[in-house]
Amino acid sequence: MKYKTNTNIQKTIIYIILIIITIICIIPIWLLLVNSTRSTPAIQSGVSLIPSNNLIVNYKILSSRGLNIWRAVGNSFYISIFSTLFGVYFSVMTAYGLKVYTFKGRKFLNNFILILVLVPMQTSIIGFYQYMSKLHLLNSYIPLIIPAAASAATVFFALQYLDAIIIKDLIHAARIDGCSEFGIFQKVMLPIAAPGMFTLAIFGFVGSWNNFFTPFILISKMEKYTLPMLVQTLRGDAYKTELGAIYLGLAMSIFPILVVYSIFAKSIVSGIAMGAVKE
Amino acid sequence: MSFGKSSINKNSSGYFFVMPFVLIFLTFGLWPLINTFRLSFTDTILMSRTFKYVGIKNFFIIFNDPSFLKAFKNTAYIWVLNFIPQIGLALLFSVWFTSKRLKLKGVGMFRTLFYLPNILMPAAIAALFASLFDFYGPANQILVRLGVLPEAMMFFRNSSFTQIMVIYIQWFMWFGQTIIIIMAGMTSISGDFYASAMIDGANSGQMFRKITLPMLRPVMVYTLVTSLVGGMQMFDIPFMLTDGRGAPNGSIMTANVFMYMKYSSSKGHIGLASTVGVIIFVITSVVALGIFKILRDPDEAAAKKKRS
Repeated sequence: MKYKTNTNIQKTIIYIILIIITIICIIPIWLLLVNSTRSTPAIQSGVSLIPSNNLIVNYKILSSRGLNIWRAVGNSFYISIFSTLFGVYFSVMTAYGLKVYTFKGRKFLNNFILILVLVPMQTSIIGFYQYMSKLHLLNSYIPLIIPAAASAATVFFALQYLDAIIIKDLIHAARIDGCSEFGIFQKVMLPIAAPGMFTLAIFGFVGSWNNFFTPFILISKMEKYTLPMLVQTLRGDAYKTELGAIYLGLAMSIFPILVVYSIFAKSIVSGIAMGAVKE
Repeated sequence: MSFGKSSINKNSSGYFFVMPFVLIFLTFGLWPLINTFRLSFTDTILMSRTFKYVGIKNFFIIFNDPSFLKAFKNTAYIWVLNFIPQIGLALLFSVWFTSKRLKLKGVGMFRTLFYLPNILMPAAIAALFASLFDFYGPANQILVRLGVLPEAMMFFRNSSFTQIMVIYIQWFMWFGQTIIIIMAGMTSISGDFYASAMIDGANSGQMFRKITLPMLRPVMVYTLVTSLVGGMQMFDIPFMLTDGRGAPNGSIMTANVFMYMKYSSSKGHIGLASTVGVIIFVITSVVALGIFKILRDPDEAAAKKKRS
């Protein structure tokens, strides 16, 4: 009996801690969304957790000072979608090649990819920049899209995932039916791998959407700006006193991800551990 | 993995499947890295087409630059202080979440909410916290109203506060992910170990130290190393939170911010900036791969070798 009471007290304390941490996670984001609907004077005069009715005014201010947020949204969507398609398709293809065939150099490539995951490739950004400038690819989206096809982290995740789903007999049967090797991959493997590829795609999309550093270094033309770059510009002088508009800009840049997360939270959360833990 | 006789002649098809990755990696991954190493030995500047090789002069300049040492210390300090509470909280919460005695409800919901900050745009999060702790921002309003502060404070003029802010934001963005990974590690430990320990009369503290922690080792090493590699490249938050130069007093100037400052300096000294990149690359890689090799359970490593 006493044991049970103790457990109940302990549980109550744990729930309180968990709720406090939850509030810590949500409050800043909630304030951000609420403030995007409030006027600047209201924001400056006090905190509120209840949305107000100034959203349209904020939007007018946001879009009247030379920043084209919809263009940035479009640019970010374009880059994120294509880099995701590229990244997921070629990563799964690479992982499939490594899992199904025994060829010379397979082990080397496999280990090399594992090492690449642990190496800070982003620090080669200056060499990347100078090389892209030589190829006249600055202010182009090619360097933001194509390299996704050689993402070691995505291949690493795909390798773990394929481990669980490759069915040798199915590949055999397809071969006997006269399917080409590439045909087997396209028609047999991809449909089976679709759920995992979808999870990888969400991570790819989010990563590309949020990426600030690479486009910031490579892109200088205003009309090519991505959303994170626009967020950075928002902090500049033109909007200095327009808090409502700034919050709205921030809200617009996180909103698509909030929507994606509220729909796919389950597969996202279960996908995170995919690389870390072998089941 | 071998598929028997019928597959032997198909194995060269493997090259076809890995070819796109290899080609794109060579052009967009390896060559830029080599190019960065090459540039680090030159006096290249952005505005000039000519350059000459200057040997290791850049490395001398960077290592003698007090700002660089400061940037490196800042990065390490911010990373360590954000990682310790992350892993501590993750262990604690994972024990709670997986406890068969507590049987907590809503574990999935809590995990989902804790992870939320991680997928939001770091640029927006930095801008958000900059506004929240602005002189006229809500933090000041609340603290003054509650009487904690006598008057509104310029938070981002205070070095220690600004560092703590970056540490906090990094923690805020990453602790949820660490919880999910550590918890997945704990769930994958077979219940048989605990069952037999229970028969032997072990208490929960002993079981945690003798079973959970050792079994979690590979997952912990993975978390440590990936967090370290990411932490050493920290840029968005410290860059966006204040003036992009690590203000106040360079207190949140991280290694990558320092590299960017060299690149964006009036002359655009990309030779020197590359040198900074090379130094971060080498140090991080050596430390990360070193930790990975040393800390990963030797038995596990041997077993893995046999399997593949």
